[in-house]
Amino acid sequence: MDEAPGLSDQYRTASPWPVFIALGIPISELGLLFGLFPLAVGGLLLFGGSVVGMLSESGYVNSTMWASVVFSVLLFAFGSALAFTEVNLVVRGYATIAAAALLVVGGVVFELFVREQRDAF
Amino acid sequence: MEVNGQLALTVLMGVFLIAVAAWLARVEDWRSYTPLAGGGTVGGTAEQYVSEEKPSGVIRWLTTVDHKDIGILYGAYALVAFAVGGLMVVVMRIELADPASTVISNTFYNSLLTSHGITMLFLFGTPIIAAFSNYFIPLLIGADDMAFPRINAIAFWLLPPAALLIWAGFFPIPDVIPAQTAWTMYTPLSAGAGSGNQMNAGVDLMLLGLHLSGVSATMGSINFIATIFTERDEKVSWANLDIFSWTVLTQSGLILFAFPLLGSAILMLLLDRNFGTMFFSVDGGAILWQHLFWFFGHPEVYILVLPPMGIVSLVLPRFAGRRLFGFKFVVYSTLAIGVLSFGVWAHHMFATGIDPRLRASFMAVSLAIAIPSAVKTFNWITTMWNGKIRLTTPMLFCIGFVSNFILGGVTGVFLASIPVDLILHDTYYVVGHFHYIVMGAIAFAGFAGIYYWFPIYTGRMYQVTLGKWHFWLSMIGTNVTFFAMILLGYGGMPRRYATYLPQFATLHQIATVGALILLAGQIIFVWNFVQSWLEGRKVEDGDPWGLAEENLVTAEWTWFERKLQTAVTDGGEEEELATDGGNPVADADAESAADDE
Ligand code: HEM
Ligand SMILES: [Cu+2]
Repeated sequence: MDEAPGLSDQYRTASPWPVFIALGIPISELGLLFGLFPLAVGGLLLFGGSVVGMLSESGYVNSTMWASVVFSVLLFAFGSALAFTEVNLVVRGYATIAAAALLVVGGVVFELFVREQRDAF
Repeated sequence: MEVNGQLALTVLMGVFLIAVAAWLARVEDWRSYTPLAGGGTVGGTAEQYVSEEKPSGVIRWLTTVDHKDIGILYGAYALVAFAVGGLMVVVMRIELADPASTVISNTFYNSLLTSHGITMLFLFGTPIIAAFSNYFIPLLIGADDMAFPRINAIAFWLLPPAALLIWAGFFPIPDVIPAQTAWTMYTPLSAGAGSGNQMNAGVDLMLLGLHLSGVSATMGSINFIATIFTERDEKVSWANLDIFSWTVLTQSGLILFAFPLLGSAILMLLLDRNFGTMFFSVDGGAILWQHLFWFFGHPEVYILVLPPMGIVSLVLPRFAGRRLFGFKFVVYSTLAIGVLSFGVWAHHMFATGIDPRLRASFMAVSLAIAIPSAVKTFNWITTMWNGKIRLTTPMLFCIGFVSNFILGGVTGVFLASIPVDLILHDTYYVVGHFHYIVMGAIAFAGFAGIYYWFPIYTGRMYQVTLGKWHFWLSMIGTNVTFFAMILLGYGGMPRRYATYLPQFATLHQIATVGALILLAGQIIFVWNFVQSWLEGRKVEDGDPWGLAEENLVTAEWTWFERKLQTAVTDGGEEEELATDGGNPVADADAESAADDE
């Protein structure tokens, strides 16, 4: 019998991302609900970044950069809907757009610098 | 001032994000090392049998995606919430020991009332069920893990922030006060209308927290549906799927349809409160909230009761020495309850003046739902009939479940009848009814599970005598408290008040005494649980309940047996096993077990 019955060795039994996804959701909700710009940006960034991180960790996406681009397009669409339509929640809209922009930057930076370093090992 | 605040928040957020990034970089790096195969475990206890795949210490718990670890996290979380909600209600019951407002203010009473309800239903009830289902369903159906282990971890980690938000009003945050809307959050009060103080941000925080807990439950339910459908071992077919998995599958279906609706209704309420929409303030808005809330709310009560019924259906036959009587019908009635539970919600609204023809149809369905519930009850009783009953602690809690469920169910059937409800609605009778079920049945099944599987998740045995004390104090406390409430309801005592007319004093005092008995029982439980986990006698037999004799072993015990055999035995002497067998020798043994270690 295997050493740890009931456990597969196909996947890791640890992942650092879930905690941060779970933190990102309430932080961004608080920021968006009360119109607290920094909380909204930070929370969305945390949420988006962790989702991308988890997707690439589990092999659902190949490119971290493209995953963050897709995610930030979604954020951008949502932010624009808040800021530029009749909804007219300008601060919240801009916060979402800012998070989208930062997420792309983060994705690119990771692709250019961090990943190479890591692959070099 | 404004700008300064924003600046501070920005800096704080920035620092936090950088810290997160740095931490992630470290953890990711650490993870890129391949662990030594079968590597030496530091400390070398049996619990660390999987540690070659996991980091140690706090980080292990923060990063785990193993269903068993997550089950334990859910369980710990639920028990903490149970303690918080329980202590809240102890304060309330002490206040109710005399008619006037003496110990706490009326507003504080209302705040405790609101938080108690939400804490018990969403932070204790749902998570304690998730604890069992996470730990045991993959074992019962022979799966490696849940279908989506990471989603599973996310679902759990949403809960601690949810609790903080729900309790935020009690924290010393300037200008934030606790919600006083009761768990039903009826508009217009919860929309902040009128001259009251419910426009406060504390209510928004509570709503956000509730919303989060709903997201968590929904993620969990999707995971269970996927797991039970796709991850079963070849040997596990629909025909021999165990009863607990059936109830969790049904429950997950209910969650999938009910919780998103609650989420939407909460969002609508938040929009009304903060962005000037008028969903609930136009004509009919108040009744709209009630429809939306109870369309979620009634299925929610079955979401809470079905898996505990599953636990009882699984555990009770083990100590009756025979298989569950009419297994198929128990499954069918589970499914029937699942379907019917969406057709009864307006029985909570009989007194609102809705169309009498609608009322009558909801009454009919509500009476009908009692039938599958009764089928189950008779099946449990018949299973015990002429069985070889062993009154172990888990069995006692199962029998207590059946007994209390009958009282709760019968009072429910009375309430489902319109003329009776018009008299008893909004009295303590209703409080008595649902507490017989939520405390007397659901919590009891939780305890049955906690004791029954204690050897599996701790590797040790609890202290038998303390377990029995816990049961009897809980059983007596529950019945004293909630039967007094049923009588109070007959007398016309309205629910949700901090003060009352002197004529109700005696029954209220009896209820308070009952609550204190319950408290004493739970203190014993906490002691027994913690101390036995740390120092209880080690279990060395994969079948500590002696299920093999009657051929009643289920898959999780087979797994446990294998685990015990594969975990290198650290030279444990052959000890007589401490079973809870109603057998005086074993009892005495177990009592002294704690001292042996
Ligand atoms: C046998 C089936 C049941 C029937 C026919 C039934 C019927 C009812 C009725 C008619 C009410 C409304 C009373 C009123 O407010 O006037 C009610 C309230 C309630 N029931 Fe049940 N019930 C049943 C089972 C359950 C179960 C299994 C649970 C819990 C798991 C439960 C939990 C509740 C709760 C929490 C309330 C109070 C809601 C509030 O705060 O107003 N009931 N029940
Ligand atoms: Cu109901």
